[in-house]
Amino acid sequence: MNFIPKRNDVVAAADDLRRRTLAHLPLPLERMIYLASTRDYNSGLYHHQGLAARYSEVAACEGLADCHRESFRELLSTSLEELVRQLEAYAESTGSLASNFVTAWKELEPYRVAVPVGTDPLAADFLFSNLKVALTIFENRLTPRPPLAPLA
Amino acid sequence: MIALILSLGLGVGLFVLLYVLARRNHTPVEGSAHLFVEARGSLRTLQHGLLPPDLLNRIFDRQDLRYVVGQTPPDIQKLFLAERQRISLLWVRRVRVEILRLMHFHRGHSRFHSRISLLTELRLALDFAGLLLACRILEALFYFRGPYAAPGMVNATAAGAARLCTASEKSLSFLDRANLRPFGGGSTRGNATI
Repeated sequence: MNFIPKRNDVVAAADDLRRRTLAHLPLPLERMIYLASTRDYNSGLYHHQGLAARYSEVAACEGLADCHRESFRELLSTSLEELVRQLEAYAESTGSLASNFVTAWKELEPYRVAVPVGTDPLAADFLFSNLKVALTIFENRLTPRPPLAPLA
Repeated sequence: MIALILSLGLGVGLFVLLYVLARRNHTPVEGSAHLFVEARGSLRTLQHGLLPPDLLNRIFDRQDLRYVVGQTPPDIQKLFLAERQRISLLWVRRVRVEILRLMHFHRGHSRFHSRISLLTELRLALDFAGLLLACRILEALFYFRGPYAAPGMVNATAAGAARLCTASEKSLSFLDRANLRPFGGGSTRGNATI
């Protein structure tokens, strides 16, 4: 991948991705995690076989990167209340036990490797901070509350 | 006696002058290109990383505070406030650092590359000083009274920083690709344009 793709191809690849794949992922959090998972940890390049076959490998990579940045921006502008809701919905969509999900996310902090390259450290830190608080709120909702004392 | 005192005074004065001249910073041998690159980087960081209104609105938005206070127990409220305080301190410290970098650039080099009047330079110096002071005050307010202590001052500081960015942009505009175009390819053989 050593040539610059045409901007039209990149836009078309990103639109294609939004229409077909990302349309099934309604939450920005889901989209950001999914798009980060298409990125190679070693090279930082994005891969998507279907998209690369339809356009070019470079156009697919750039299109994925555009969509990744877009989902990050969306998530950054999400309120804390909405972020808690998205976390709950995402945990449910993974099929894992909610308590296991919270434990894993609190310990591993997978969201730290899910931000696009070139993100300003303040924006990334702000999102991590919000996710940390949102996870704590989510965890708090999972713990059973003591029953209310009976009225005298 | 008076002549001796005058001679001594003159001698001390000359010594001080020589000392000051010897201590002045000189342009490094490799040139000062890195200062322009640094200033450009600061400008980009401020404009795209620290001052976008969307990000500032989110960091200092009271909607999150209302939600946390209304829906969560005190320990989570404490965590939330500590996190927002950390982020707001990080923000104001980084703004201050980038403003300082831009100020150093202006003080040392911008006057050689753009036509700035004395009045504009004075106004710019006052703006820089005011902004640095505002950053320090904000830092203290965030530290002692939390992230929601001075929303008006946050907006005023961000607006002031944005104004300085616009002024700095003019000083650095000669680095823009469009402005460099006349220098490239305009020369004929044996007759350089520059």
